[in-house]
Amino acid sequence: MTHNATVAVRTQQDDPGQPEQQAPSKLRAAGRQFGVVWSNTKARVGIIILAFFVLVAIFAPLLAPYGGSQNGFERNGDASWAHWMGTTAAGEDVLSQLIYGARVSVLVGAVAGFLSTLVAVAIGLSWGYIRGWVAEVIGFIVNLFLVIPGLPLMIVIAAYLQNGGIAVIIAVIVVTGWAWGARVLRSQTQSLRSRDFVTAAQFSGDGATRIVFREILPNMTSLIVGSFFGAATSAILAEAGLEFLGLGDSSIVSWGTILYWAQNSNALLTGQWILLFAPGLCIALLAMSLTLINFGVDAVSNPRLREGARRKRKEVSA
Amino acid sequence: MSGAPTHTADGLEARGGADPRLPSDGSDVLLDVRDLSVVYESAGQTAVQAVDHVSFQLRKGEFVGLVGESGSGKSTLGYALTRLQKPPARTNGGHIFFAGADIRDLDDEALRRQRQGGFAMVLQSGMNALNPVRTIRNHFIDVFKAHGHVPRDRWDARMKELVAKVKLPETMLARYPGELSGGMRQRVSIALALSLEPQLMVFDEPTTALDVLVQHAVMDTIIELQKEEGFTAVLISHDLGIVLEATERVLVMHEGRIVEDNDSRSILRDPQDEYTQMLLSHYADPRAEVVSLPGFPDRSQRDASATRQETTSSFSTVGSRERSAAKNPIVVANLVKTYPAPRRGEQPVQAVRDVSFTLEPGQSLALVGQSGSGKSTIAKMLTGVEQPTSGTVRFGDTDVAKLGRRGLKDLRSEVQMVFQDPYAALNPLHTVEYILTRPVLNYTGLRGKDARRRVLELLETVGLTPVEQFAQKLPHQLSGGQRQRVVIARALASDPQVIIADEPVSMLDVTLRAGVLALLEDLREQWGVSLLYITHDLLSARLITDDIMVLHNGEVVERGRTAEVLQHPQDPYTVDLLDAVPNPRRALAEGRL
Repeated sequence: MTHNATVAVRTQQDDPGQPEQQAPSKLRAAGRQFGVVWSNTKARVGIIILAFFVLVAIFAPLLAPYGGSQNGFERNGDASWAHWMGTTAAGEDVLSQLIYGARVSVLVGAVAGFLSTLVAVAIGLSWGYIRGWVAEVIGFIVNLFLVIPGLPLMIVIAAYLQNGGIAVIIAVIVVTGWAWGARVLRSQTQSLRSRDFVTAAQFSGDGATRIVFREILPNMTSLIVGSFFGAATSAILAEAGLEFLGLGDSSIVSWGTILYWAQNSNALLTGQWILLFAPGLCIALLAMSLTLINFGVDAVSNPRLREGARRKRKEVSA
Repeated sequence: MSGAPTHTADGLEARGGADPRLPSDGSDVLLDVRDLSVVYESAGQTAVQAVDHVSFQLRKGEFVGLVGESGSGKSTLGYALTRLQKPPARTNGGHIFFAGADIRDLDDEALRRQRQGGFAMVLQSGMNALNPVRTIRNHFIDVFKAHGHVPRDRWDARMKELVAKVKLPETMLARYPGELSGGMRQRVSIALALSLEPQLMVFDEPTTALDVLVQHAVMDTIIELQKEEGFTAVLISHDLGIVLEATERVLVMHEGRIVEDNDSRSILRDPQDEYTQMLLSHYADPRAEVVSLPGFPDRSQRDASATRQETTSSFSTVGSRERSAAKNPIVVANLVKTYPAPRRGEQPVQAVRDVSFTLEPGQSLALVGQSGSGKSTIAKMLTGVEQPTSGTVRFGDTDVAKLGRRGLKDLRSEVQMVFQDPYAALNPLHTVEYILTRPVLNYTGLRGKDARRRVLELLETVGLTPVEQFAQKLPHQLSGGQRQRVVIARALASDPQVIIADEPVSMLDVTLRAGVLALLEDLREQWGVSLLYITHDLLSARLITDDIMVLHNGEVVERGRTAEVLQHPQDPYTVDLLDAVPNPRRALAEGRL
């Protein structure tokens, strides 16, 4: 994946004359990477959808016509000018609930995704760099988490911790969700650790921690970002799933709880299909937006996937 | 399928000579390139004109070399000729007439058909282009099916004929690519290209990725094939020596332009362009009495000219350097390294067998051999990266194999390494300053301003000036030669006694090699470090080492003073290695040109 930097340059300048450009700032580099993601059509659609949901979540109090848990309206009301999507069995405005529900999904996606990526990075990188029996032990634990079916484990843990609110849900998702990312990052670490520049850092007297986090980690940024989006996607889906099963705190307003209450009040039988359809669609769209962004992130780590920008490798090092 | 042949028919009619664009004397001209320009346009970067208004003609049956250093546009031109180029490369001007028709006008299907009986290309990495899960036979069948130019009942016979042409046994057809060596696979890809009966073959660095001795054999096969089959061939290479030995006519490319186009003999005897003269000046025969390259007087005369030491270097660091003159020898005794068998039922790999030598303080010793001869494994054991199976490596009083993590760090402050590939040895994300600061902080105890001053001194020592500017650069902003200087500067940061250089110039262009070698040589003389120089290139060994050891299959087959061994080689293996050094003038001397 780090080939992109080296490959891009090998095709050019080998003249001893000095290339004019200065070392770009970190911000500029990040901006360029974003440009690569943005240039991918799929990723662009994803970014727009994600930005929409994030803005909705942030400005929910301004956008929503009523409060999220404000009840006392007509029960099971159909769509009307006052309530565009009707009201729930408890007499709450569905549209407002949907808008406030975005907050939970976005928050859980970001926080749980971030935390499980953090765990994955810490474990994946050390697992990839260390050799010997310690690596075997880590491998055993990771494989254990991989073979246990995720959803049942989540249900068991969530049921055991009972109604702990969002924090517990996030914890459950992190515990069950880091293993796959760790595995992916480990294999990349293993391939990077045999590079000459890592050996060279050893010859420079750098310690293992520094080599892992200063030499290897920056070379897999895009993979980590990709792994974050993947983790966030599954976190959003898992959160909605747990809420739907009633394992979260059913008093908070989230897309999962809307589904939970809609199911409880047999919304489909009473003809209020929108109660199931609208949150379901939101969950699907948000998850899809992250997946779409990942297409663009893939292009950062693998220049061959860039649209219309295939690079030719002139000098293939033997 | 039925709609497409008309296109080919058009192409064939144009071939007949009705086209007014044909040169009037073009009866035996196969390829006519006029004002061809190719540009690289990638988003967000300035466009690079890789090929700039190039014009030349190839006559039928000619064998022409295309020479240039990396970045000269030679491969880009090769890809354009065979229409294999991909975005961001784009042809932005000129024409390529192949047998009279402009191939730039061909659509994809016509182009695909043109590949049979038209033009074919053999790539540098062609040996890796074979599908690992299909036998060689299947690869041939794919080609026959795609073009239908061989009747099904002739398939077997044709395949056998083709592999025989590239000097492979028939049994090879049943094998999988993974079971063949690199040289064999490259032969297979040549045979596959040949199966299309092309009129024009473009060889893009066909032997560069192969081992030195194999290179020679494959090149001989290509030369013979071209003579027998009579196809027109273009040999693209960075190595003027190889090209001059093989071809009748040479085009020299520099910065996207053809600077010289002449027959090989004239180029050798009387090169017109400065650039060609400069390229030629970097070849010499390691067997000669006196070997010198530009900036590189012969070793035997060097000691007399002590003035050079004062003139060439004004090391600001000399004062701080006096203590670092090497004191401890590296003593290697009965070193053996055996790797476990790659597959069950096979023999374990004996990489190094019973090697003993001593690297005296301040000595420069060359360790020479082809790939797989065990030379890099020895380097790894000297630096504690690998553990020997038996035998000992001692540096001064320490036994390298018994060192723990702390001990290894201490060892590496005294024994440093220069890596083969300057592109892989520098982390692409760190500035030169960061890369050099690390060993300074870790080994010298300097901090803050002092550390920075030391980094700048190092840059000056390796000749990267202005130092302030270079310190801020990222590796990709440097050329290969500059990168290798950074790698050397890093190795010097800890004031080492010993530098182990593993093929430090094999990835560099010929013209950059001399500079890096001169730097290594200077450092050894000025700083008094011992140098273990690992290489397959006997010419560079002759230039910078006093003593030499020739390794073959993990054993030392010959050792002695470098000049003596190379002038009077005793072992046949040393002779083989010497023969593999490309040297255009030798061909001239032997009357082959």
